[in-house]
This record gives sequence, C-alpha cells and structure tokens, in this order.
Amino acid sequence: MRQLIRGLQHGPGGQGGRDLRADAFRGLALWFILIDHIPGNRLGGLTLRNIALCDATEAFVLLAGYAAGIAYGAALDRRGWTFAAAVLIRRVSTLYVAHIFLFVVFTAQVGYSAAALESSAYLDELHLDVFGEQPYLALLQALLLRFQPAFLDILPLYIVLLLLLVPALALLRRPAVLMAVSALLYFVVRLLNLNLPNWTGGGWFFNPLAWQVLFFTGCLLGYARPRGGRRGPVPAVPFHPLLATAAGVALLIGMAIVFVNDYGEAWLAEAPPRLAELLTTIDKTGLHPFRLISILAMAYLVGHAVPRDAGWLRSRAASPFVLMGQHGLPVFCAGIFLAFLGRLALEMDDRWPMQLLVNLAGLGALVLVGVIGAWYRLRERGEAPRHAPASAADPLRPPVPSTTTMS
Amino acid sequence: MKGGMIAGAGRILLLCATLLAPAAARAEALACGAPPELLEASAALPATARAASAGSLRILVVGSASVLGPGTSGPPAAWPARLEARIRARVPRLKLEVVTRGARGLTTAETEAIIEAELHQGPPPNLVLWQAGTAEAVRGLDVDEMVTALNAGLSKVVAAGADAILMDQQFSRFIRANANVDAYRDALRLAAAAHGVPVLRRWDLMRFWADNDLIDIERAGRTERVAVTDRLNDCLAQAMQALIRDGVAEARGRPTPR
Repeated sequence: MRQLIRGLQHGPGGQGGRDLRADAFRGLALWFILIDHIPGNRLGGLTLRNIALCDATEAFVLLAGYAAGIAYGAALDRRGWTFAAAVLIRRVSTLYVAHIFLFVVFTAQVGYSAAALESSAYLDELHLDVFGEQPYLALLQALLLRFQPAFLDILPLYIVLLLLLVPALALLRRPAVLMAVSALLYFVVRLLNLNLPNWTGGGWFFNPLAWQVLFFTGCLLGYARPRGGRRGPVPAVPFHPLLATAAGVALLIGMAIVFVNDYGEAWLAEAPPRLAELLTTIDKTGLHPFRLISILAMAYLVGHAVPRDAGWLRSRAASPFVLMGQHGLPVFCAGIFLAFLGRLALEMDDRWPMQLLVNLAGLGALVLVGVIGAWYRLRERGEAPRHAPASAADPLRPPVPSTTTMS
Repeated sequence: MKGGMIAGAGRILLLCATLLAPAAARAEALACGAPPELLEASAALPATARAASAGSLRILVVGSASVLGPGTSGPPAAWPARLEARIRARVPRLKLEVVTRGARGLTTAETEAIIEAELHQGPPPNLVLWQAGTAEAVRGLDVDEMVTALNAGLSKVVAAGADAILMDQQFSRFIRANANVDAYRDALRLAAAAHGVPVLRRWDLMRFWADNDLIDIERAGRTERVAVTDRLNDCLAQAMQALIRDGVAEARGRPTPR
C-alpha cells in the first residue's frame, strides 16, 4: 500500500516535498466525516467533535484550502490566472456533478426508507418528503443548490468556496489584502446575518460566505510564492511560546465548553444567564468565532507538534489515511454514499455486531477507494512512482499537470 | 390520601403522596418502564409547585403536530389530553386547566409567538410545556434561528413568572437516517440547560421503548398502528407527569422521589 503513496519516496524532510501531514490529517477528517454522518453510530462518541469546539468539517475545509493554495497557486505561477481559473472551474464542475449524483442517491434512499419502515405517518406529519410533494420543483432547486437535504451540505459549501477562489487567486500573492478582504466579509456576514438562501427555509447549513475565511486561511498557508523561478518555502506561522500557550488555552476552553454542553447541564443552569445563553449561540452554520479560533489553534499546535518528516507519517499504520487524504474527492463522495448505506444498515439494526460491521466496512471501503485512486493514477502515467516535487501536494488531486511534466 | 386534608399544608401532603409519588418501582410502572434518569427534572418548577399548593394549576401545551396526537384514535388520546386526565385522576381536588395550542409543521419561532400571545391574554399559565425542534430538524432550517426562538421564549416564560418544560424531537429511525437531527437535539438541550428548564427527552424515551420492543410505531403493523400510537401518547403523558412531579419535589426542597 505504501508504494502507492505520492511523495513517500521523496525521503523525509525535504522542503518543497509533499506535506504528508496534510494528507494524513485529511484522511482522518474524511473518516470522521463518514462516522459523524451516520447518526446512531457508537464511534460518533470518539471523534474530534467530542473533545474540541470544532470538528472534521472545519479540518476538512482548512485542509481543502491548504491543498487548493498549493495546487492552484502552482498553476497560477506557472501558467497564469486564466489557466488556473479554468482548471478551478473544471474542478467545480466535477464537484457539482458528484453532488447531483449524491442527491439522486439520497432521494432514492428516502423513498426506500419510507417503504421499508412504516413511516408514511411520519412523512405525512413531518413534510419530510418535499421531493414527493413537488418533484419537479425540488429537482430544479437541487440543481440550483438551493435544496440541500441533510448530510448533503458539505459539497455545495466546497463548490462555492472554489468558485470564490477564482477571483481570489488574483490576490494570492498579496496575502495581507486577501486576508483582510476575507476577514471583512466574514465579519459583515456574521453581523448582518447574511446567508445563501435555502428553498425549504432559512439559509445553507454551512454558510460559504462565513466559512470562506477558514478556506482562504488554508489557501494562504499552502501557497508558496516562487523565489527565483523555484517554488519558495511554504509560509508558516513561526513557533512562539506565547502563541502556543494561547492556542493551548483556547483549545482547553473549547474542550471545557464541549464538556459543559455534553455533561454540564446542572452547571449551566447555575451559570450566569448571559454566559449560559452565549454558550447556546455558538453556531456551526456561520462558523462562530470560537469554532474558528479552535480550529486555527489546533492547526497551529498540530503543525508544530508534528514535523513534516515525522516518521509515523511514513509508517504502515498511517498509510491508509495518507492514501485516503491524497484522493480526497473520490473518498469524500464514497464516504457520503457509504454513510447512506450505514444509516440504512443501522435503521434495520443498531446493535453492536451491526455497528462493528458498518464501521469496519466503511473504513475498509474508504481505504479501498484511496488505493484504487492511487493505482489508476500510476497506471495512467504508465510509470512507476517516482518523486514529484512541488506540485504533487494536492490531496484532492485537481487535474493540474504536475511539475514533473510541466517543468 | 382521601382523608379530610383541606388546609394548604394538607394539599402539599396530598401532592407529595400523589403527584410526587415516591419509589422507583412506582416511577417505572408509571412511565412504561422508562429508565428513571430520563424522568428526572434536573431543575425545579417553583411556579408549578406554588400553583399546585394553592389548588389551581394552568398548563399551556404548545407545539407542532405531535401535541394534537396524530395517528391516535382521537383527540382524547393525544398526550396533553392524557396528561390532563392522569393529573385529574391523581389529584381530583386540583383545579386544573390544560390549554393546547399547536398545528402541523409549526416552527419554533411560530410556537414562540403563540406562547407570547398566551402569556398576555387571560390568566397566564403556571407551566408551559413546549414541544419544539421537529419542524426545524426535518426541514433543515437554521439551528441558530431555533435557538434564538427558544432563548426568547424561555426568557419570556420565566419573566412572566411561569415554569417551562421543553420536549424534544420524536425518535424515529427514518428521521435519524434522513435528517441531521442530532444538531437540533443538542442545541435544544443546551438552550434548555442555559435557562434551567427541564427537557422531556422524548427522543431518548422513544428510542428506549423502541430498542426494548415496548413501543415501536415504525415497526408496528398497519392494524395495530393506532393502538401503538395511543399507547405511545399515554406513555409520554406518564413520563411528562413524572418529570413535573420531580420538578415540583425539587422546588419544595424535598429529596426527589426515587
């Protein structure tokens, strides 16, 4: 399995080599997303969201930004804005088609569940079946991304984030300006409560206009400005004891909030009403500042705690996750699809043998998708894996030719 | 408990003996075998306790379709009606009034508006039973809008000197598989805790009943569906009654009957 991993042969430590950390953590995030998308899954009590005020979604978006910064930044530097934008648009089309496919699967699942369980009473009572009521309109709204059934909300977010990156690419070399614009948008959106509209009412579950701040932060962390014709060093927030302490404190506070939410109801009732009410309003939709701080603090600490050349990244145990992270899009889509199957399975029986089966099969299938993706990639190139510097760092593998073929 | 206890203190005793009936065995029998920890109020219901001591209790039930008892044999089988009947049977001397307001598909903001209207017209309720969050979860509406409505509504109820109990979503494998219900459940639970308001954890109760093959609407055959739904509503009423009893006991500073 390890020979399928890109960037492994490059040897440890080389600056400009593929950052396997991003791959490994993205793989982990993809697995957590699968677990968290299966309500009733006992493993759901062990994922990131149980100990931190952020979860796999935040990690996924930050790492997606990081990967996009590397890949489209490289395309921008080598071929200019027009080409990079065109590549981005092609990527968005792929994501869009994937989303529509998953929407069809979801709709079929609702119909199947309704038939399998005696739930026509629920359907009737709850108006869950908007598709059944107005199929043509629902289809149109789904195509417009204005109808997003539950659990189908991450891809639309990602699509809009990549679309926002098209104009933002032009600012990639001016990190301060991009960050200022992005942060300003974030604050305005939060203050004015702006969101993209949702057909069934309210706004998007993940508000792209707010989440872009995390995505663009990732982009800027991933983009390395060229120096003298070569890819320069990756920008990194330098280690500083004070900053590390602040990050640690932020994570501890986040953990305390999560624990209070989960177990501290009695304490919450005794807490000052304003504080207690503040805790109820930490929203995920608009990426509440507490959640933003949590993920950034975590990224900062993990980024410094795990060096680029950490041995375990190249270990046998980590390789499934690295592979999953390197083939993020197919693995992500497969995960959403597998979550459907997992929910159906747990609907029938949610005792532990089925839990075990669902989780083992789920993880196994995700790894398999990663392996197949890597295998295809090698076969398409018709060559043995060899080290590809610079460009090879995009876990979602957008169709950008690598530097080995471009330079 | 049928003796001539007419004085205020006597009424309290009466309530303790009936509404607050002790012993875990009793509670289990009452709420259809529900685990006792799901029947703990975790917060006091002082206004309810005062009103009960004074001999007259007004309860306002607000929610979406489920307060109307859809799928039951008729309105008397809906859980608010069953709750009323059960309290009446236990405390015949209590002047009890139960007002139920709700309609299919109402959002939390809409039920919050109903609560506000009810608080300002006629004699205000002593206890508001607020079933919320289902419409939001099922239609994928904004979690934070639901939270805002809950915070506003609970503040108003408390400001009006009344108690509140929230009721969360009904358990259903279908909803669990097709809606992101956990996000809404967590938010509702949190809002309740922030206001020191008990939650009747309908989701956990119904899940317990379903897991233990006690009541499972989704697996009931067509012929028995109505009977099972009736039983569900009656069991929910019993659980609500046990929760109220626990909250009243808490308000009186007595050890909770367990």
